[in-house]
Amino acid sequence: MIEQLLSIRNINKFFGKSHILKDVTLDIRDGEFITLLGPSGCGKTTILRCIAGLESIDSGDILLYGESIKDLAPNKRNVNTVFQNYALFPHLNVYDNVAYGPRIKKSISEDEIKKRVTEMLELVQMSGFEKRMTHQLSGGQKQRIAIARALINKPDILLLDEPLGALDLKLRKYMQTELALLQKRTKTTFIYVTHDQEEALNMSDRIVVINEGVVQQVGTPNDVYNNSKNLFVADFIGDRNIKEVIVLEKKEDFYRVKLGSSVIDIKADRSMADRDKCDGTGSAILAIHMDKMKISYTQILNSLYGEITFVHYAGSQIRTDVDVDGEVITVIEYQNDYDNYNIGDKVYVSWEENGALLLPKEK
Amino acid sequence: MKKIKQNLPAFPILAYLTILVGIPLLLVVILSFLSRDSLGNIIFEFTLSNYKKMFDPVYLKVFLNSFTLAILTGIITLLIGYPVAYFTASLDRKMRSFVILLIMLPFWISSLLRTYGWSILLGKEGLINNILMFFNIIDKPLNMMYKFGTVLTGTAYMLVPFMILSIYNSVDKLDRSLLEASYDLGGGKWKTFFNITLPLTMPGIAQGYTLVFIPALGLYYISDLLGGGNTMFIGNLINNMATRGRNRPLASAFAIGMILLVVLVLFIYGRVTKNNKESLYQ
Repeated sequence: MIEQLLSIRNINKFFGKSHILKDVTLDIRDGEFITLLGPSGCGKTTILRCIAGLESIDSGDILLYGESIKDLAPNKRNVNTVFQNYALFPHLNVYDNVAYGPRIKKSISEDEIKKRVTEMLELVQMSGFEKRMTHQLSGGQKQRIAIARALINKPDILLLDEPLGALDLKLRKYMQTELALLQKRTKTTFIYVTHDQEEALNMSDRIVVINEGVVQQVGTPNDVYNNSKNLFVADFIGDRNIKEVIVLEKKEDFYRVKLGSSVIDIKADRSMADRDKCDGTGSAILAIHMDKMKISYTQILNSLYGEITFVHYAGSQIRTDVDVDGEVITVIEYQNDYDNYNIGDKVYVSWEENGALLLPKEK
Repeated sequence: MKKIKQNLPAFPILAYLTILVGIPLLLVVILSFLSRDSLGNIIFEFTLSNYKKMFDPVYLKVFLNSFTLAILTGIITLLIGYPVAYFTASLDRKMRSFVILLIMLPFWISSLLRTYGWSILLGKEGLINNILMFFNIIDKPLNMMYKFGTVLTGTAYMLVPFMILSIYNSVDKLDRSLLEASYDLGGGKWKTFFNITLPLTMPGIAQGYTLVFIPALGLYYISDLLGGGNTMFIGNLINNMATRGRNRPLASAFAIGMILLVVLVLFIYGRVTKNNKESLYQ
C-alpha cells in the first residue's frame, strides 16, 4: 500500500456566492512532486491556501498523516509555502529571512539556527548572500531565498504557488530543473501550482488538472498528456486539433467516424472505451495532437485529404494548416520529407495511432 | 537653461513659500535680536538678552510643560490611532471610505467650537458630571476642568486624526502576503504583529508622531480654553508676550526656540525613517 501523506476529502469552498472548490478529493503520497494545473481562476491556488490554512474550508476535511488539520491555524501546520510574489520580509536581510521560521517558533538554539541557515543557503546556492537586503536580489535569487526560508522548518509538505511566474523564460527553464533536483535531494513532498502545462509536464511525478473548481484528471504527465480523460484536459494540455465528428459505428477495437466527408477509424482502447458515454452513434469529439500528425503527397490509409492553406516556419518546427472539407487541421512537423510545401497543394494528413483520442462531447 | 525650464512649475510654489513663510520667518528672526521700549515699540538695537531669558528657570519650565504635553499627546494619539488605523485598513473598500469620512468629519467644524465642546462635556455642570450625579455614582461634581490632563485630552482629541491617517497609509501599503508568510512560517498573531507589522509600519508611526508632536507644541487656544492658564505652555507664553505683554522681540526669540525644538524632532524623524525607507518602499 502506498503511504498517503495528505488526504483532501470532498472539500468545498465558497467566496460569497461563487463556488470555488467543488467536492475536491485528492490523495498525495509521501515524497512526490505533484502539480495542480489549471487556467487562472480554476481554484488551484485556493486548494494550496486551504492546505496551508490561509483559507478555511466550508465542508470536507484535510488529513495529514491521517489526522485532520482543517481546524489548525496556519502556524500549527507543518507545511510551508513559497508565495507567488516570494513575500520576503523587506526589513530583514537574507539571513534573518531564512532564520525567521525557527526563531519565531523558538524551537532551536541560535547556534543551531546558524548551522541550519548556512545549510539551507548552500542548498539553494546562495551562500555568501547572508547580509544582503532582499531588495538587492534579483528575481531568481529572491526565489531561492523564499525556498530556503520555507524549507528550513523541515515541512512535511512544501507548497509552491506559481513560484516561477515572475521569472523570464530562460531562468524559468533553469529553475524548473533546479526545483525538480531540489525535490529529489530533500525528499520533501512538493505541491506545485501552475497554469503552465510545460512546467507541469516537465517536473511532476503526477499532475492534477483542475477546471472551475473540479478535478478533471489525476495522472502521470504521460497519462495526462496522451490519455486525456475529457475534452477540457485534451484542449488544455498539448496542442491538439479538436473537431466534432459523427460516430458511424463501434467495432471491436475501433470506432468508425466521419469528419466532413472523410471516414476514418480511431483505435478504441485509446478512446472512449473505458468511459463509454457514446453508444456508438451520434457525435463525439476527435482530438489529435498536432505534433503527432504528418503530411504526405501520396495517399495513406486512414487519412484526411485536403488543401494546404497556410505554412509557417518557426525555427525547428513547421506549422501547416490543411483545409479538410472546410475544417482547418493544423500539423506540426519537426522535419518533413519534402523541401517545402506550397499553399494550394493537395495533401494527405495522417497521424500516429496514439496521437488521436475520441472523447464524449460534453465537457 | 534646460534645468530652468524643467523646474519652471516649482516657481509659483517657491514664490508662495517665500512671501508667506520665508519673509515672515526672516522678520521673526530679525525681531528676536531687537529690543523694545517700555511702551512696546521696537528699538533697532542688537541684543541677545531675549535668548538669554529663555534659560530663566521659569521659562524653561514652560518649555518643559509644552515638551511633556507634546510627547504625551504623541503617545496617546499613537495608542488610540494605531488600532483604529489597523482595523480601518482591514475593512472592505466601501466601509473604509465611510470610516475615513467619519475620521475627517470633525475637520468640517471649527476647532475652536470643538474645544468649547469639551468644556461642555467636562465642566462642573457638564454632561459627564450630570450623568454621574444622576445615577448617584458620585455625590459632588468631579473637578475635571483647567488641569494639565484637560489640555492633554483636548490636544490629543484635536490631533488624533493626523495620527490615524498617517498610520492608515502605511498599514494600507503593507503587503498582506507578508503576514501570511509569517503565519505560514510558524508565527502567531501577536508575534507576527511585533515582528512584521510593527517594524514595517514604523515610517507611518514616525510620520504620525511628527505631525502630532509639532502642532501639540504650539497650539495655544486649547490650553487657553481647557487649561484656564493654570499650566503655562509656550504657545500661550508667546501669545501673551506678543499681545498683552507688548514684547514682540521676546515673543520672537521664544518662537525661534520652539522652531529649534521642532527641527530637533524632524531630525530624529529623519534618522528613524532613513534606514527603513529604501527597503520598505522600493
